[in-house]
Amino acid sequence: MSRPLVLLGLLAFTLLGLAPIALMALRVDAGDLHGMFSERSSELLWRTALLGVGAALTALLVGIPYGFLVSRTDVPAANVWRVAGVLPILLPPLVVAMSWAGMTDLRGGLATTLVLGLCTFPLVALYAARAFERIDGRQEEAALLVGGLRTALKAELPLVMPSALFAATFAFVLAINDFAVPDYVSSVGPKWSVYADEVFASWRSSKDTGAAVASALPLVLLTALALWPALELRRRSLMTSFSGDFRAPATLRLGVWRWPALIFVLAVLCASAFAPLGRLVWEAGGGPRGFSSSVLQASFERAIELGRANLASSLTFAVGAALIAVPIGLVLGHALERAGTLGRRLAPLVLVPLAVPAILFGIGGIALWNRPITGAIYDSGWMAVLLFAGRFLPFVVLAIAAATAMLDPRVEESARLAGAGPARRLARIVAPALSPAVIGSGLVVFVLSMRELDAAILVPAANSTVLFRLYNAVHFGRDGYVAALALLVVFFVIAPGLLWTLFCRRRLEVLP
Amino acid sequence: MNLPRLLPTLGLAFLTACSSEPDLVVYCSLDQEFSEELILRFARETGLEVRAEYDIEANKNVGLATRIREEAASRPRCDVFWSNENTQVVAMAGDGLLEPYDSPSARDIPAEFRDREHRWTGFAARARVFIVNTDLVDPAEIRSMWDLFDPRWKGQVAIARPLAGTTNGHMAALYDVLGEAEGRRYVETAARLARDGSLNVATGNAHVMRLVRDGQAAFGWTDTDDFNVARDAGFPVVAVYPDREGVGTVLIPNTICILKDAPRKDAARRFVDWVLRPEIEAELARSRAAQIPVRASVPRPEHVVGVEGFKAMQVDWLEVGRSIQQRTAEFQELFLK
Repeated sequence: MSRPLVLLGLLAFTLLGLAPIALMALRVDAGDLHGMFSERSSELLWRTALLGVGAALTALLVGIPYGFLVSRTDVPAANVWRVAGVLPILLPPLVVAMSWAGMTDLRGGLATTLVLGLCTFPLVALYAARAFERIDGRQEEAALLVGGLRTALKAELPLVMPSALFAATFAFVLAINDFAVPDYVSSVGPKWSVYADEVFASWRSSKDTGAAVASALPLVLLTALALWPALELRRRSLMTSFSGDFRAPATLRLGVWRWPALIFVLAVLCASAFAPLGRLVWEAGGGPRGFSSSVLQASFERAIELGRANLASSLTFAVGAALIAVPIGLVLGHALERAGTLGRRLAPLVLVPLAVPAILFGIGGIALWNRPITGAIYDSGWMAVLLFAGRFLPFVVLAIAAATAMLDPRVEESARLAGAGPARRLARIVAPALSPAVIGSGLVVFVLSMRELDAAILVPAANSTVLFRLYNAVHFGRDGYVAALALLVVFFVIAPGLLWTLFCRRRLEVLP
Repeated sequence: MNLPRLLPTLGLAFLTACSSEPDLVVYCSLDQEFSEELILRFARETGLEVRAEYDIEANKNVGLATRIREEAASRPRCDVFWSNENTQVVAMAGDGLLEPYDSPSARDIPAEFRDREHRWTGFAARARVFIVNTDLVDPAEIRSMWDLFDPRWKGQVAIARPLAGTTNGHMAALYDVLGEAEGRRYVETAARLARDGSLNVATGNAHVMRLVRDGQAAFGWTDTDDFNVARDAGFPVVAVYPDREGVGTVLIPNTICILKDAPRKDAARRFVDWVLRPEIEAELARSRAAQIPVRASVPRPEHVVGVEGFKAMQVDWLEVGRSIQQRTAEFQELFLK
């Protein structure tokens, strides 16, 4: 790999992903750290950690069997459920929480845990599915011969667990940084506060920003504590993959368990995606005042009329962020994997943009870009694009690194011997070979950018995004137009992945 | 992906995006639904290119105020801040972030809504009222702010968490009006009841309105604009202006101010003059927001109770604004447990 290219990539990553955080960190002095772990905040942090563990466990308990059933068994229409299983992670968790709060009386910590677990289970399901597919067919056949499916699963679970646990740590991180779901779900009954509330409140109550930044440090530490071992799990999950003469495992016949398995898959999908989406459709069509197709049509017409420009802005920003993040991620992800031990040591640095609360990243963005020399960028839509690219770059870097691990280095070596330079090898050999990961990780950035609000809200361009308009409208209640707009957002979020699945044969590699 | 071809395209798009420079930048935390049309009309009438940026409840009102402070330290770009409440603006005035401007349009606005040093002006207010579901409670039974803690209503009452928005200013104002000990007793009681579920704590005032509107709570604290949305939609709700015989009802005005380092001060003054006209107060009173004109002479629809129709709490907002961060820190200790 060309050193200047890697240095350029590092520079871009530092500027987009690390500099906003560094500027915030520089504001903290020793005095700000005083009382950071008071009895009250420690209690909040403990509760938040429990929420994270609960959500991660829920994601594991649902995600592993789901991933297994849709990737390896003859459950009816497994491929359809495999694709549909991604839906819950694309829906804003608050939308899911609002739907369930309207349909059930479940409230408080348990409800929060279940909602966040259901919203994040696709991460575990995706990783588990991939890991189950990487089990050697001969090894599985031997286990099946010895003791049937039970024995085979017993032997395979330890191989799948590193991947599933790695995904569960992301579920944990997403859960502990969420404040909207616990706040909403515990609106009736005993209030259930979490540490992310503390971070937001500190920006209003602190005299200086250093103290407000310091208030986020315990949450950052908790996130880092989860992500650090996750990298080791990721390395193990990559290593448990193919050997030289790998043989793909055969589809497992479930026999009489085929239909109960389908019921399980459908129940999970109903709870996590179809029910919230169905409720949105019901609300768009008139909701409690009576559903009708004419109301549904009118709601969509109004949503398109009012939200068209915002949808266009959001799509532009999300595509822009993906286009910027992918080339940087390609260079850095490839370099990270090929650098061996050094790459492993630097990997935790890649996760830093994800480890800090969104509000901190957003304010860091203001501090970095709102300067006379970069003022034009700050005032324009580019601010949103750069903010999204910086925040979500880690997903691209890690996905490319994971895909690079599967790419035989001898292919690049041959190209080098044939006289191809580093940039040419990257563009003509590596990028095409890794195209499922390149496009897949770009899609991840696109999706996350489309639904990002907490960091983006702090920069001028956020005003024109569709999520801004949606949450503005939600303020006064969820009428048909709001539900229709939410459905449009969901449609545009899933559209690129859906089109790819329908028209392209190659499966996308979206996993970091 | 062809990087050599892509980069110039991106660069061109960048230059295009950066070429537009507005004549005025307004940060507005009054809901976009109510303020956007007015700002657009100002732009049409004056021919100025106005860039308006809004706040939303979802980010706990951290957005615009935080951004103004951040930008002031590096590169000020906001000319006018139109806030939907007053404590943050008073705090900004105290921190030297605002430019004095005595708008001729504000001459007939009562003195209690204007800063003595002309750094901000209040207009179009909201009252802090109890929204009551008449299917569940006889409104005549609700008279005082303390009724929220009556054991009869255990589990049927609601409030927004007082860490942001008008609930934050409301609770802070109680310390000023009731005195330190009584103010603290009110907030501490609310926090204690919130922890055991006797008092429901919603995500915001609009959410309190929805809980009461839908019958999940019998009554709760909200703003008159949120109440009016439920009333307008035909739900069985009424607004109770509590403590008519006592300290009165908190009235929180919109506030408008010019930033000290505003890059476009002339346009900022034109906008402030335009917004503070009686016609705009009348329009905000007629809108779904049902804002209460602070000038008794401004016409308003029948359903909007005027300032003479209830007893307004006499609050020293300067003092409340000065202490708002300290109070918020106290509320944080009480409510985030």
